[in-house]
Amino acid sequence: MKISHRWLKDYIRFRLSPAELSDKLSMLGLEVGSYEDMAAKYDKILVGKVLTKTKHPNADRLVLCTVDTGKEILEIVCGAPNVAAGQKVAVALVGARIPRNQHDPDGKPFVLERAMIRGIESNGMICSAYELGLGEDADGILVLDDKARTGTSLARYLGATDIVYEMEVTANRGDWMSHIGVAREMQGFARAEASLPRVKIRESKTEARRVATIKILDSRKCLRYSSRILRNITVGPSPKWLQDRLSAVDIRPVNNVVDVTNYVMMETGQPLHAFDFDLLSGHAIVVRCAEEGEGFTTLDGKARTLNSEILMICDGSRPVAIAGVMGGANSEISNKTTSVLIESANFDPGSVRRAAKIIGLSTDASQRFERGVDIEMTAYAANRVAQLLQSLSGAEVLKGVIDVYPKKPGRRTIKLRIDRANRILGTSLTLDHMVALLKRLRIKPVLRTRGGVVLEVPSSRKDLVEEIDVIEEVARIYGYDKIAAKTNATVDFSKPRQVESLQDELRDYLVGAGFSEMLTLSLQDSLSGNLMGGKAVEVLNPVSAEASVLRASLIPGALQSVKHNRSHGEKNLRCFELGNVFSLREGFSKSTLEGFDEEERILLLLAGEISRPQYGIQGRKADIFDLKGEIAALLSKFHLDKYRFISYDNAGALIETALAVEINGTYTGFLGKITRSLAIRFGIEDDVFISELKTKVIDQNRVVEKKYRALPRFPRVTRDLSFVVDASLPQERVEEAIKKSGGSLLSGVTLFDLYVGDRIGPGKKSLAFTLELQPMDRTLTDSEADELIGRIVVHVQAECHAKLRSL
Amino acid sequence: MNEKIDKARQQFLEELGRATNEAELEQLRITFLSRSGLIARLFEELRGVPPEEKPVVGKLLNALKNESQQAFDTKKESLEATVRPPVPAVDLTLPGRVRPLGTKHPITQTIDEIRRIFAGMGFAVATGPEIETDYYNFEALNFPPDHPARDMQDTFFISRNILLRTHTSPVQIRTMEKQQPPVREIMPGRVYRNEAVSARSLVGFHQIEGLYVDAGVSFSDLKGTLVAFARQFYGRDVKYKFRPTFFPFTEPSADMYISCFLCKGKGCRMCKSVGWLEVLGSGMVHPHVFKSVGYDSEKYTGFAFGMGIERIASLRYGIDDIRLFYENDVRFLRQF
Repeated sequence: MKISHRWLKDYIRFRLSPAELSDKLSMLGLEVGSYEDMAAKYDKILVGKVLTKTKHPNADRLVLCTVDTGKEILEIVCGAPNVAAGQKVAVALVGARIPRNQHDPDGKPFVLERAMIRGIESNGMICSAYELGLGEDADGILVLDDKARTGTSLARYLGATDIVYEMEVTANRGDWMSHIGVAREMQGFARAEASLPRVKIRESKTEARRVATIKILDSRKCLRYSSRILRNITVGPSPKWLQDRLSAVDIRPVNNVVDVTNYVMMETGQPLHAFDFDLLSGHAIVVRCAEEGEGFTTLDGKARTLNSEILMICDGSRPVAIAGVMGGANSEISNKTTSVLIESANFDPGSVRRAAKIIGLSTDASQRFERGVDIEMTAYAANRVAQLLQSLSGAEVLKGVIDVYPKKPGRRTIKLRIDRANRILGTSLTLDHMVALLKRLRIKPVLRTRGGVVLEVPSSRKDLVEEIDVIEEVARIYGYDKIAAKTNATVDFSKPRQVESLQDELRDYLVGAGFSEMLTLSLQDSLSGNLMGGKAVEVLNPVSAEASVLRASLIPGALQSVKHNRSHGEKNLRCFELGNVFSLREGFSKSTLEGFDEEERILLLLAGEISRPQYGIQGRKADIFDLKGEIAALLSKFHLDKYRFISYDNAGALIETALAVEINGTYTGFLGKITRSLAIRFGIEDDVFISELKTKVIDQNRVVEKKYRALPRFPRVTRDLSFVVDASLPQERVEEAIKKSGGSLLSGVTLFDLYVGDRIGPGKKSLAFTLELQPMDRTLTDSEADELIGRIVVHVQAECHAKLRSL
Repeated sequence: MNEKIDKARQQFLEELGRATNEAELEQLRITFLSRSGLIARLFEELRGVPPEEKPVVGKLLNALKNESQQAFDTKKESLEATVRPPVPAVDLTLPGRVRPLGTKHPITQTIDEIRRIFAGMGFAVATGPEIETDYYNFEALNFPPDHPARDMQDTFFISRNILLRTHTSPVQIRTMEKQQPPVREIMPGRVYRNEAVSARSLVGFHQIEGLYVDAGVSFSDLKGTLVAFARQFYGRDVKYKFRPTFFPFTEPSADMYISCFLCKGKGCRMCKSVGWLEVLGSGMVHPHVFKSVGYDSEKYTGFAFGMGIERIASLRYGIDDIRLFYENDVRFLRQF
């Protein structure tokens, strides 16, 4: 919201630079985002008078002007077709910052320098409306009013000498949305009192309540309706001072009636509306809720459909405004208007907010009502509008304010306990000190009690409801910076410290194993979201189609990252992500949390080369067994001995050559190669190997308490065996046969070679294993070892139709 | 005999001293130390020594033999050390064989560091769901229905009363529902805001929330704790200020600013020329929040705070586009 420096001065005396004022208000919580010194914007740009215009000797399109700036006569080269002797123009002196450069495609500002133009020195520039940021006309120079005084600054000519603050009003402080509200807040640091101007009106003899009737049918939503009626008004443009004030705070001047209502709103915070009184049927105002489905055209010309929740201002027969939001086209002020009814009302914040949401319209009025407007301001504001319109257009003001105020609230009081305030703030302020601080905000003590005080809060401060609200005011005015920063907190050693989480251990392990951690967005496009089958969780109000569905798997995000990296020439990837995935739960309602599955997964990804060619090492592309090995290593890191890989055919369109991972018989996830069609969708040519596991299963089954097992004291014997079997026989079968016959002496079996080729004939493969025999109670003799190996060979030969191959 | 031994020692040591290369050493070895060398011959002469003198002379001879051999070995080693024989050349400028480098995501690193600091102050870690109810995300946190405070956080809805949490604050409620004070927890996690994607905002980001509730916790403790954090995280001599602000679930509420660590408060692009950076929001837990979890707000007080991790990490690493955090460009990830 915009607040004008000059305007503030109407309500409170202060001598602060814009920077100081910004800082002080910000330190009270009214954040000044920025401020603009409008005069500075037009520094070194003056009103000048073109004295002569002659042809440029060296250029057909240029002319030579002499321009009087009040102090000197400048020679300026100009290219505009419309420049003429006798004109008043805006002259930029050398060194002026020109707001927009019309030769720059982005219109960036530039600093004007003395220049030689086709052999003639130009000592300034006559500006166009575009260059000054005052319009889009760049073809000719801006011609000013003949009456403009030569030599005055352009800022002054434009009435743009104000300083305008951009303020961030928090949701609890509707009272800050006006100049008087900001001025009252300034009492917190300025040693002066803020006050509104006194209003004097010359009233006619005719009583307003004799010409109009006002009825509130819904007094829950309309809390007060005050009104003034004016006659014999001449609608026309506002005087310049009024237009300038409104323009400074970004309100477009319309006509004197509308401008005055806006002016008083910016002054008092009270939203106002002016109806053409003669267009109000029956000269009546009835405040009631709309009929369901009723149509209505607002001032902006848009047709709206109403419902019975929306409070309407109606005349004797039809709606004429959406209460607290916007007026209607049917009773709008026009040039023909001669009588007006000024609405200065107070509506329930919640119902204005609901109405604004339903019709999708947020206005200056609705924003104020939502935050809460001072209910005691309506009559003053109505009077103030009447006074201003009387002085501007000589309007006749009918006698009296019609003020319908069904239930005037009593004064609001809050009890403040000094001890409580000091305990919350960590201070030791006295009661007198607190009362003095609060008085600056017009919060007045009405009764001293034991250990405290009863305070009366001003009606404009709707955010002050209970003790804690007042304690905050004490802290704000006292100054947060004066409250000591201390740390008396103690650490409770009796409580066990949290052990490192699985997530921490997973990350540390994988980073050590050379994986880089990725993070991908949880919101995806619906195609990616639905890849996993299942039912994806959709967002009702997505910001874009690319972010409309919660991820059901970490895979699409990972592939997106593979794609991104490939497009930058990075094809070899070794990454992981830890994050939540979401799905709808079958048979549950979407209106409770039970309807949603949210579970954490870990994804591992290998793409491109698993090892790059280096001297002494051949490069090799990653394959499924690299990933399988990584998963096995990861699971053994958590001492999960009882895991197994089983064939997996449930992966759908995502994964082929897939394996499922089971831990202690519980499905944990899968690993495999991304299908061709999915890879193509992401523009990936290479194979990508991905595994996605449920961290919860790992967490539930991992061995946290580690136990020592005695180390073997006797030597280990190793023997190599190589079997030739049918090529179709799974390796696992041979391995199992070896283990089964090896018994407890056999402590390890490692496949160290796999051979297919001429030396063993077609349809066969050779599997070579290293067997480790580890006795626990004696040294194994050669003959014992030979005997066991012999038994294993015989068993494998029989079980797997294998032939022993001599190594 | 004794004289002969002394002379042999003297001669050997002199010649050993003069020897400068391997050939001379070898000659010396043959002359003195070999089987037919001088010392061996002296041992032969021992036979002719009277028996009563034999033990003494024998001892001297043994000493001569040992000393000479030792002196010879030492000399030989030192000669070898100075004149190293040529070995097959190893080009040590060949690069070491690299193995893949793993990195933790900068967002994780930032969360980890914040966790580490608060863990030292006795804060444990709590988490909660990303899909939340309106109650936990808003109502229990004193956001009344139809209040403009709800516009502070543009919300993604899943159904009428189910939404994507807009902040980590619902974990405060879940934590307090589960336990009685003292409560000292930090709560990291993903949150969602319905905002247009740009260099400064994304539909989702990370937050870390903190909550400390006990008897006698004051605004002064809030400042003390957060200043202690800032000094550890941003540097010992960081300047700070607390500014009033509004959050429905805390009162009094405060935004914490620190002096810009890039320009030391002079004003630069990062701090938009103001010299200060807003780094977190905080405040005393509102009595209405205590009421919704059944705590006695007369008995217990507390403070809460929250910060956006992407913002903190951006400031820390000088990152100007937060979308970089989610592209997972390995050239980006390797920098952390």
